Amino acid sequence: MTVADSAAGCWWRPFREIGDAVVIHIDLEADSTREGDALTWLNEEEKARWRRYEHQGARRRFALCRAALRAILCDQLGCQNERLEFGASDHGKPFAVVNGRRHPISFNVSHSGEHGLVAFAPKGRLGVDVEERVARRDLDVLVTSVLSLGEQSELALKSGCDKVHLFFSLWTIKEALIKALGKGFSLDVSGFEVPLAMRRGVVTSTFRFPEMPSVRWRLENLGNDRFAAAIAHEQF
Amino acid sequence: MSSTEDRIRQLVEENLEVDGQPIAQPINLDSNLSDAGVSSMDVVAFGKLVNEEFNANLSVEDCAKLPTLRALIDHLDA
Ligand SMILES: CC(C)(COP(=O)(O)OP(=O)(O)OC[C@H]1O[C@@H](n2cnc3c(N)ncnc32)[C@H](O)[C@@H]1OP(=O)(O)O)[C@@H](O)C(=O)NCCC(=O)NCCS
Repeated sequence: MTVADSAAGCWWRPFREIGDAVVIHIDLEADSTREGDALTWLNEEEKARWRRYEHQGARRRFALCRAALRAILCDQLGCQNERLEFGASDHGKPFAVVNGRRHPISFNVSHSGEHGLVAFAPKGRLGVDVEERVARRDLDVLVTSVLSLGEQSELALKSGCDKVHLFFSLWTIKEALIKALGKGFSLDVSGFEVPLAMRRGVVTSTFRFPEMPSVRWRLENLGNDRFAAAIAHEQF
Repeated sequence: MSSTEDRIRQLVEENLEVDGQPIAQPINLDSNLSDAGVSSMDVVAFGKLVNEEFNANLSVEDCAKLPTLRALIDHLDA
């Protein structure tokens, strides 16, 4: 089966190109035809995982993103859906397995509310994060949990929507970085800082983890009026 | 005095939701909150609530390293 055969058509579209990384936006609005279509792309293990989600929204996000990821990777790698499997690193970061062998393509997925992003590139570790901006009463709790003292003082200069906006930008940049490394929140995110220029609104920058100075990452703030988002991509 | 398990169940029930809906009950203690569809932002905030409720000092990384809610309960009881 190909995307063209799908009754519901594509629910993903090119969103941005950042260097040699391509970012695709996935529409995660509720749509039972699309979700039914997406399920036909998933293997048995993925369908079982889909069934385990108790919440409709979580189930839908998983199915629509995983099917889009399969279609995108099949297209990129020139392989059939049945030949594509996913493995996962220690902390759960998925990688592609084609014909039983790990494939070097880099990719990462994120979903929040009605928006998903898939980013892929031929090489270099890569992480992407998207968050729908929602008002949170516990913003201050999150701020002290994940931001460095420098970042916290930058945020303290803002109020209202500007504060929420900056917080979500910082969160997505940090999450894109820990997802690029594949370690998730098992890494202390308050222990590194988003580059100053990006905290002040510049959308792109390079970054090095203090304990890994030889590795350079390209960061891009991908946020727009609908969602906050960022990508981190290892540069050579 | 209720058990750690009861208190964790209650914290989840009263504080966590997915798309504005409460977490489905009964909570599966052998899974983690991400498996239930809870976003990482809510998981981080939940870790702080656990610290307040149990007067504990778990960091975000400590929480992320605990694979299931049962592991969290065991950690708090240890
Ligand atoms: C990876 C992690 C940062 C994702 O956070 P999130 O905001 O809830 O989810 P996102 O929508 O941004 O990303 C989810 C996708 O990231 C990918 N992913 C999973 N683990 C990953 C990891 N360690 N590194 C990079 N990507 C990962 C998956 O493709 C997943 O989508 P899928 O399950 O539908 O395939 C977070 O779950 C984490 O820290 N996990 C590791 C430790 C853990 O399980 N902790 C419990 C919660 S803190």
